[in-house]
Amino acid sequence: MSRPSDHPLSRRVFVKAGALSLVSLGFDPLFLGRAAYAQRVPGRGPGSKTLVCVFQRGAVDGLSMVVPYADEWYYRERSRIVVPRPGAGPDAGLDLDGRFALHPRLAALKPLYDAGHLAVVHAVGSPDSSRSHFDAQDFMESGTPGVKSTPDGWLNRCLLHDQEHRDTPFRGVAMGPALPKALQGSAPALAIADLQAFGIRAPEPARDRLTAAFEALWAGAETGVVASTAAESFEAIRQLKAANPAQYRPDNGAAYPPGPFGHALLQVAQLIKADLGAEILFVDVGGWDTHVNQGSGQGQLAGRLDDFGGSLAAFTQDLGEKMADVVLLTMSEFGRTVKENGNAGTDHGHATCMFVLGGPVRGGRVAGRWPGLAPEQRYEQRDLEVTTDFRDLFGEVVARHLGIGQLDVIFPGYDLQAGRFPGVLA
Amino acid sequence: MRKLCLPLLVAVAACARHGPAGLAPLALPADAMAFPPADSANALHLLDRFAFGARPDDIAHVQAVGIRGWLEEQLNPSRLKDTAGADALRQYRLALRSPSDLYADYGPPPPAARADSMVRRREMEGNRALAGDVMMSALARHIASERQLLEVMTDFWTNHFNVFMAKGADRWLTADFVEHAIRPYALGRFEDLLVATAEHPAMLIYLDNAQSVAPGSRPPAAGRPGFAMMPRRGFGPMFPSVRPAGGAARAESGINENYARELMELHTLGVDGGYTQQDVIEVARILTGWGVTQPKRMGIGNFAFAFHAWAHDYGPKTVLGVDFPAGHGMDEGRRLLRLLAENPATARHLSHQLCARFVADTPPDGCVDAAVAAWQRTDGDIRAVLVAIAASPDFWAPENRTAKFKAPLTFVASAVRALDGEPDTTTRLVRALQQLGEPLFMHLTPDGYPDVAADWLNSGAILTRMNLAMALASGRLPGVVVNLDRLSPVTSDYDALVRDVNATVLGGQGSAHTLEVIRQQIADMPNAANARATAVGLALGSPDFQRE
Repeated sequence: MSRPSDHPLSRRVFVKAGALSLVSLGFDPLFLGRAAYAQRVPGRGPGSKTLVCVFQRGAVDGLSMVVPYADEWYYRERSRIVVPRPGAGPDAGLDLDGRFALHPRLAALKPLYDAGHLAVVHAVGSPDSSRSHFDAQDFMESGTPGVKSTPDGWLNRCLLHDQEHRDTPFRGVAMGPALPKALQGSAPALAIADLQAFGIRAPEPARDRLTAAFEALWAGAETGVVASTAAESFEAIRQLKAANPAQYRPDNGAAYPPGPFGHALLQVAQLIKADLGAEILFVDVGGWDTHVNQGSGQGQLAGRLDDFGGSLAAFTQDLGEKMADVVLLTMSEFGRTVKENGNAGTDHGHATCMFVLGGPVRGGRVAGRWPGLAPEQRYEQRDLEVTTDFRDLFGEVVARHLGIGQLDVIFPGYDLQAGRFPGVLA
Repeated sequence: MRKLCLPLLVAVAACARHGPAGLAPLALPADAMAFPPADSANALHLLDRFAFGARPDDIAHVQAVGIRGWLEEQLNPSRLKDTAGADALRQYRLALRSPSDLYADYGPPPPAARADSMVRRREMEGNRALAGDVMMSALARHIASERQLLEVMTDFWTNHFNVFMAKGADRWLTADFVEHAIRPYALGRFEDLLVATAEHPAMLIYLDNAQSVAPGSRPPAAGRPGFAMMPRRGFGPMFPSVRPAGGAARAESGINENYARELMELHTLGVDGGYTQQDVIEVARILTGWGVTQPKRMGIGNFAFAFHAWAHDYGPKTVLGVDFPAGHGMDEGRRLLRLLAENPATARHLSHQLCARFVADTPPDGCVDAAVAAWQRTDGDIRAVLVAIAASPDFWAPENRTAKFKAPLTFVASAVRALDGEPDTTTRLVRALQQLGEPLFMHLTPDGYPDVAADWLNSGAILTRMNLAMALASGRLPGVVVNLDRLSPVTSDYDALVRDVNATVLGGQGSAHTLEVIRQQIADMPNAANARATAVGLALGSPDFQRE
């Protein structure tokens, strides 16, 4: 297959443009059923790109992840939950650029930042004012803030791109029991809770026969999404069997923290290395809704960040040189109040910060315009202002990493321009 | 449907707040409502939606008493003898004990004792046993109870008023929450249900209202905030116990918006219900002081709702344009809940959710409008709304038959019911729900598990269902005993076997393709018992059985 790298924006086409145009007319393309694989091409050869999205559900406090320690209002509005300035003891922040400091429990990420593989985008978020977790998550996953009727997710729309050349059932995979909104839509995508348990369970001689029986049962009886979902499952079983996931050992001495997030990232690394054609991978990580007793350099949020940073660092180490083609993007539906609340916690706010990690990243910088924390600089006099629309960041990743040019299809209704990209990718 | 006897339903509304025994008798007048004939397809449709699927004799029963007759039975649950439900409940004794008892026996050990690994292990084992009993008592009753509509609605409202069992004291409170705040009102008036959940310690703790106080207020006994608030410790694995820097005991010092927001966004008005951020703040102020008392470590006292006057904000407030004058205490909170319950946006939000559950993921306007009309006519009488949905032409329309993909709980409960199964004395069956991603009472966020198929319909979940189906049919699924003899004898007449499996497991509605694949798969199996288990497993794992 030919993959022109010099003019990706002009040469590539959306094979599902017909279905997508229905979206804009208000029709749900899901009713058309999913397209069968035009061509099955396992693996994608060298140089193919992978995007890993990590959703911090519950609205992470970006002001704690990357502390604006040079902004006096941070220390004026918070007292019980602050991260001390760099140099002020063992729980102090880790200086990034003289303005911002990494949370001390994200220390595992500091070497990646210093080596230029990790960029921070601060004051990023949604232009929509909703402080509802569920609406805001939905908007960030549909890629259409303020529009609830969007039937599919932005990552699924990415999967529709160039579909006829690169279809494998593993092209889009969410690690977990359910497919997140971001990956729902007319392109096939898998949800896998555990790679090793993926398949029909029966003793070996009976297993193939039973698998074939269920495949027949689902293939003929249904049309549309149900049938194609089943077909994806059985195709995935066949390919995964060859990859033998039970044998996996992390490389380069990588040690993932125990817990669901570390385990999920380990499986993501495993899928990438198995070369099954994984292009967009998705992992959820929860526990960020710190209304009460958030903690500072130690405590509740610190514990979550420890697990978070340690898992990302282990993932990077495990993939080693393969990180050259991988970008990992973190996101969260919004940030939290500048001022701490009555319970040494924080309530729902507006902007937060996001990480971009990987070989292609122009890292070692905190990108995005800092709006300031003084009351008159805040959104609604209360929260960190959004100075980078999340679509400008996601759009940059889509265009420069995945090489998709038609950003108006990925983020309909938004006029994306390279001039507004935060500039985290070369 | 429009002719439905109005005075009757109004009378129901007046005395609903006394639990199922207190529900007034409800009759569905035969001449006022047109239900379709109770053929086996209609009976199965009704049982799939208004019950957790059909047990082997259920379709015949609906055919005997008619659609109207069956609904009338189910809408008067106290008239249904329910030894099966009561027996199921008795197996899981921890779920029946009071929160204070549980706290005394399963509460956190003193910090000093935690150094002992035996103490920590006992604590963990205790928590596991408790969680197993609480989950399994709910699942076992969903499976076994004769009061199926009450079970369906208990599940619906428990999910609507979601709490998370692993958050702090909610591990001792969740069973009590379902038993005393949800179940008694699940077929009653919505406002009573709303008040019961608002006042229950499980909700006050889960959404942090127990810690929301007027700025500057102080508890009367200085230095003893524990009198009013939940202690920091024990807030579950997601919220490890932490002392703030300096180690001083913290006093709460302001409002917490968490419950106020979800009360409007999820419980009542809906996210587009017309409230603003300022309304969220005002609601939080009105509910300051709605808190919890907790037992002392030595077992004195009780978990209970308490209004702490010292923590209340007595200033004036305005919510949705309605003034709440200064000087009021707990009474303004009750007034607020009524205001929200009576708001037309609440009627529409809840009607839409009920129709999504009972009719179609994207419910047709017709049944939603019928539900809203019944809601408004009866001041939020849940039984009247359910009758309106069941009598709506949309409910019976061909395009809404088998239009839903069963939720994980519905799949597990209906599969066990179809095989005339019973949980054994262990709690292992709850693992099936874990594998499907929806363990009971373990949804972290207040939106509850989704009620639409897009969230369950994925490749991994389909395979998990196939595996559960085969394990259940061959008697290998831990925690449950099935009775295949009720479905079909062991026979070498495989055509008869397939007919029996279709009639029982698939309610006679299996597709020709499904039946043909099953027939082919077992045709060369020499062992008739294996053939029966395979036929039943394939039927349970077929697309036909995933539909409802």
